Amino acid sequence: MNRPEHELARKLVRYLDDGLDQLEPRVRERLAAARRNALSHYREQPATVFGLAWAGQVGVWLTEHRSSRVRVLIAAAALVLATVGVVYWQSTRSANGLTDIDFYLLTDELPINAYLDKGFDSWLKRSSR
Amino acid sequence: MSDFLAEVERRAYKQALFAVRDDHVALDVVQDAMLKLTEKYSARPPAELPLLFQRILQNTIRDHFRRQKVRSMWTMPVSSLLGGDPEGDGDPLETLEVADDSKFSEPPAEQAARAQVLALIEKALEKLPARQRQAFLLRYWEELDVTAAAKIMGCSEGSVKTHCSRASHALAVMLTKQGIKL
Repeated sequence: MNRPEHELARKLVRYLDDGLDQLEPRVRERLAAARRNALSHYREQPATVFGLAWAGQVGVWLTEHRSSRVRVLIAAAALVLATVGVVYWQSTRSANGLTDIDFYLLTDELPINAYLDKGFDSWLKRSSR
Repeated sequence: MSDFLAEVERRAYKQALFAVRDDHVALDVVQDAMLKLTEKYSARPPAELPLLFQRILQNTIRDHFRRQKVRSMWTMPVSSLLGGDPEGDGDPLETLEVADDSKFSEPPAEQAARAQVLALIEKALEKLPARQRQAFLLRYWEELDVTAAAKIMGCSEGSVKTHCSRASHALAVMLTKQGIKL
């Protein structure tokens, strides 16, 4: 970063620091209350074992992104379940349809619609040859 | 931990306020960030706290906007039917009241003039694109190095430098336009 930019940033930050002293008492009190509340939840935790330090890092990452990750995982699981359900339903429906046609053919009770079907007609011609 | 929180809480509040532009929401954001830090990272060495707290704070701000986006997806169709107020369309610097006889070209010696300059700086910061403001505040107000800022922002160090440079330039332009010469 060049010098004029750094100089400007330094001046602006000085103003911002001054502004912190001018915060309303109401805001200061709320911040102090928030701090007290947070410190009341402060928990002494055992020191991290060196060998498991990487696990701690994973933990940090997971907890910081937990809410969004969990939502994405739930949505993905729901999508997979829905897809499996649709595929299963389609396969059982077509199998049931084939069973019905076989049954009608064997009992010689084909519905009239079967004779109007061009596919059925061509199948009959092919099988009679 | 208590000393650390006392030291950073006001800056954290201001950072949140620049982003969310609502003091109640900003206070809630800071409170959430403090709670997360004390509940989950109390065993961390003090040297790691500034970086951790900034990461938590920025994520909490991001979560707020994410929730707001989801809410607006539902409320926008209704408000458009009712004819909502087009809030945020105008330039906040244009609407900020500045005394006609103010002379910002001169160094602001008096306290009132300083307060006015501060208000203009804060408005200019609010007006910056979120990533530029974030980079600028992390680098210069929180005094984090480029590597740490890049880690918090989830981008490259080059991007942080670019955001900082653009932020400084934009701030200089906006403040000069308002007659402020720092």
